[in-house]
Amino acid sequence: MRRRTFIHRYRHQYLMLLPGLVLGGMFVFYPIVAAVFFAMQDWSGFNADKVFVGFANFTRLMSDPFFWAAFSRSLVFLLGTVPIQMILGLVLAVILNDRLLKLSNLFRTFIFLPVVTPVAVIGIVWTFMLSPFNGPINGFLLDIGLIARPVDFLGSSDTVMPSVIGVYVWKWLGITVIYWLAALQTVPSDVYEAARLDNCKGARLIWYVILPIVAPFAVMILLISAVAALNVFPLIMSMTNGGPFFASEVMEIFVYRKAFATGDGSIPELGYAAAAGVFFGLVVLALTLLQAVIARRTRRGQTA
Amino acid sequence: MSITRMRGLSRRHFLQSSTAGAAALGLGAGFGLGPAMAQGIPAAINDIASGASLRWIDSGDQKAVFYRQFFAEYAQARGVEIIYDPLPWNEIAQVVPLGVRNDTAHDVFALPQNINPADAVAQDWVQPYDDFIPDIEAWKAGFPQGAFLPGINEFDGKTYGLPFTSNKRYGTHLLFNRAYMEAAGYAPEDQPLTWSGFRDAARKITEAGAGRYYGFIIGGSQLGRWAQTVRNMGRMAGASAGGDSVVEADIDFRTGEYVFDSDEYIGAVELLIAMQADGSIFPGVMSMNAPQARAFMPQGAAGMILQGPWNIGGWEGEHPDYDFGVASGPVPDEGPTGKLTIGQGALAPNTMFMYKNSPNGAIVGDIFHYLGTLEGQTAWANIVGAGDPPIFPEALEHADMSDRSKFALNMFNEQIRVGPNPVVGNSDIAQVIGAFQAPEVNFARTVQGLVAGELTGVREQMSALKDRYNAALDAAFAEAGAAGAQVDRSDLVFSNWNPDVDFGASDY
Repeated sequence: MRRRTFIHRYRHQYLMLLPGLVLGGMFVFYPIVAAVFFAMQDWSGFNADKVFVGFANFTRLMSDPFFWAAFSRSLVFLLGTVPIQMILGLVLAVILNDRLLKLSNLFRTFIFLPVVTPVAVIGIVWTFMLSPFNGPINGFLLDIGLIARPVDFLGSSDTVMPSVIGVYVWKWLGITVIYWLAALQTVPSDVYEAARLDNCKGARLIWYVILPIVAPFAVMILLISAVAALNVFPLIMSMTNGGPFFASEVMEIFVYRKAFATGDGSIPELGYAAAAGVFFGLVVLALTLLQAVIARRTRRGQTA
Repeated sequence: MSITRMRGLSRRHFLQSSTAGAAALGLGAGFGLGPAMAQGIPAAINDIASGASLRWIDSGDQKAVFYRQFFAEYAQARGVEIIYDPLPWNEIAQVVPLGVRNDTAHDVFALPQNINPADAVAQDWVQPYDDFIPDIEAWKAGFPQGAFLPGINEFDGKTYGLPFTSNKRYGTHLLFNRAYMEAAGYAPEDQPLTWSGFRDAARKITEAGAGRYYGFIIGGSQLGRWAQTVRNMGRMAGASAGGDSVVEADIDFRTGEYVFDSDEYIGAVELLIAMQADGSIFPGVMSMNAPQARAFMPQGAAGMILQGPWNIGGWEGEHPDYDFGVASGPVPDEGPTGKLTIGQGALAPNTMFMYKNSPNGAIVGDIFHYLGTLEGQTAWANIVGAGDPPIFPEALEHADMSDRSKFALNMFNEQIRVGPNPVVGNSDIAQVIGAFQAPEVNFARTVQGLVAGELTGVREQMSALKDRYNAALDAAFAEAGAAGAQVDRSDLVFSNWNPDVDFGASDY
């Protein structure tokens, strides 16, 4: 009776929640379940010949050097992008947070503008920018005499990952700055006054005053940036297609290549690709859960 | 020559009269015959319901020029709607299978490149069209020998797939900037470049360019370009290998063995590496695909490209002031030039199939029928030309083509031979092809890796490549055998094959 009464009392609220639940079920829950199901099949994805193989795909995955190489590159990408975003974002945020700074809003806009530009457009434009033939970056480097021959940034395994990392940081730096700006709003103004009285400014201000206060947010921003850095399919696909010779093949590209075997003479292996996707998804999920745990602790700390 | 010109003049006069006649009949400004269509749309061979909607998907390129024009006129003539989707191969690889799985496939589609016709038939992707072309045997008799082959486009006596364009073409012949080439001292149209000449010309063009243009360009991020380049250079240097599928393209049918470790293939890879070391290869090839590389040529960024005849019509139409030449791919420095081998007369990627559940068989049959007549073939040749040659040789005689296109087609006929097709010899081989999983580091990736410097030791790498392919092929045979196929690697051996002559039906 009590349960029935509760449901009845909030029946309108539940009815309002139903569309969201249905959509979530269709586009989030079902694909997750389907992916796990496919991960246990030996299946090309495009015919009726499905064979249940249990965890064989995962077992194979563990001994696949190409999978681990792609996984490693994803980690390299993460380690290459997140620290730069964090540090550079914090510095820019502190600078832009100075209310006395002229035109700070204009600079904020310029920094944030790449964030709202579609990734595919960014990829195409930067491919042109980095081109060794008529690309402005190579043109500039040649003009100042720093290099004698154009550098194929995206076509060399030595330079492709740094190049893609650089473009990624440039694109998403703005949102990191926004996160930091939000965090900086929690620093009381009297702290700045006290610091000024003590002649504490610049790097010392950031390190000794601001950073301890915003440290809890730093962890949050770190994890958000880390999860985002593990989802870079459109940028790398539009710039390098995972090449040259696997040099920029991160996990999403590996999954895509295995799933669709686009024109290289291989047979699509959707089941195996699903296994790779599930495994990688679990890694990202672990990071997300870690984020949630830390968020909870942060709130508890604030309450105390 | 004068007769051809007279005929051309007559055709133009006919078109003018027809157009005037149409106007006189008050059919409206929207009606008209296309400039390259011989006689417009012929009468329908089937009863076609007005208002039907047909969807067609293929890989586009120059084909799209014809289809857009043809479909517009056809739709108007028949009172139907035709939705045409020209897409890149990597998108076809997704769109077609997903459409089949979800029962939303186009009515007519080209098969993804990793799906063979036997698999498509076995998996119920496609249906035959015998019921939609009256007296189909008489119609098929109009095609050249080898156009319809059991296991290729005939299964259980039924006809699947329309083989309307010729496979006698190759995608690694030379297209060059004539001004740059002349300055380098070569005339490839008169004397095909040898391997050393190819390298020397590239170097000289690069030196002349001084950073503004380079000797050679290739769409290096499109992996298949590396494989095709080495394969065809190796074949022309004497490594006899034949066939069209990934399984057999690098197998010598006289021995049934892969030729990856042959001196010819190794030499071709070494040549590309040497040119890279020379600095003659356009910087940036590793991150550009074939269409991007192609686009740079008319801009003067490179002097040479090894691509196919589909460029001819495109460049002539879009860059009329671009003075380019067409010539053979590089030939060996010594000894005779080997022939290139194809496995069937029709170009497999262009073969169109009807979806299993398409309700528009009458329309499909009507279109297929037209494309398989001299009239349709000539209309095709007029627009597409050498890019995708019509399968009817007679159509080439009637078509309006540029000198470059004619040169290319004559060159193809001279250099290309039809070789054995293992599927024709034993239809169960199709199951082996369907089971074949290329190694992770396949032929294309190996060549790319070697040229890019990611891999070293050409001979060692090519030998290891052969081992990987042998293992993959043995696994495919084992899998097919386990599934009931009666196959053996000896099915890939045709001891009576002579690479210099066509392998006919009687040779099997």
